[in-house]
Amino acid sequence: MIEAFTDMNSSFFGFLNQGPLTLTIFLHTVIVLPMFWIYFQEKKRLEREN
Amino acid sequence: MSRKKVSVWSDNRFWQRSATWVTGFASILLIWLTFDTMGQITMGNQKDIDNHIAKKVPSATVINYKVEYNMNQFRGHEVPVIGGDDGKGNSLFKVKEKFFGRDDYSQKEADALLHLGKLASQAKNCMDCHTLLGNGAYYAPDLTKAWLDPAWGKDGPLQSMTGKNTKEEAMAEFLQNPGKYPTHARMMPNLGITPKEAKGLVAFLKHMATIDTNGFPRGFGKIKEGVVYAKSK
Repeated sequence: MIEAFTDMNSSFFGFLNQGPLTLTIFLHTVIVLPMFWIYFQEKKRLEREN
Repeated sequence: MSRKKVSVWSDNRFWQRSATWVTGFASILLIWLTFDTMGQITMGNQKDIDNHIAKKVPSATVINYKVEYNMNQFRGHEVPVIGGDDGKGNSLFKVKEKFFGRDDYSQKEADALLHLGKLASQAKNCMDCHTLLGNGAYYAPDLTKAWLDPAWGKDGPLQSMTGKNTKEEAMAEFLQNPGKYPTHARMMPNLGITPKEAKGLVAFLKHMATIDTNGFPRGFGKIKEGVVYAKSK
């Protein structure tokens, strides 16, 4: 899935985009993971308030 | 004490915070991507060529150099090679090639020629039929790497059809009198292109062929074998 970095200009996004879907998977992971944190924070708050 | 059952999914604040996070992160990401892209697609200049720095979009002065499309082993696909190949598919920026009898176009001259070609390509609506760098129509051939098409090269059928001895002169001749040369079932109409515009257009096409498109179109160099095969039949 992850291939050697062969772009002519090195770039962070280029590095992540070397394999099929690697950039997409990375960005979705980065976006979704903090939502778990938000979820449990809100759960704690609701439990406290009720 | 047992905890009360709560529903986070139906809680407004959870969705508010999630939406804020996703929108905020995506905005920052897009701004970052914009600057990242701008850095990569900024056109180079003659200094880059002098310093042997390969750019995705090289200087307009590449019209002074020999341009090839060779396999780069490291990158695993064909790349535009400017001014000679080091044997591994990297540009040497040394080997010159005459463009309309000259190989000493200054930065200013080359920029002006390319600008004229770009304006002409827009004025004559090339994209109504052709594709340039992925934009346009597929009614007529893709022009992104047209300069590298062996059919326009020495002994190529398109060059010999015009009776000219160089690729640029053959292309310019064809552009000025497309009706005279039947190349395709869908013949190009006469667009009233002047000799000056034709020169600019050919410079525009030569420069466009040197733009690194990450190997698109793939296997383009193999068309050469196709031409030889067609001639041998």
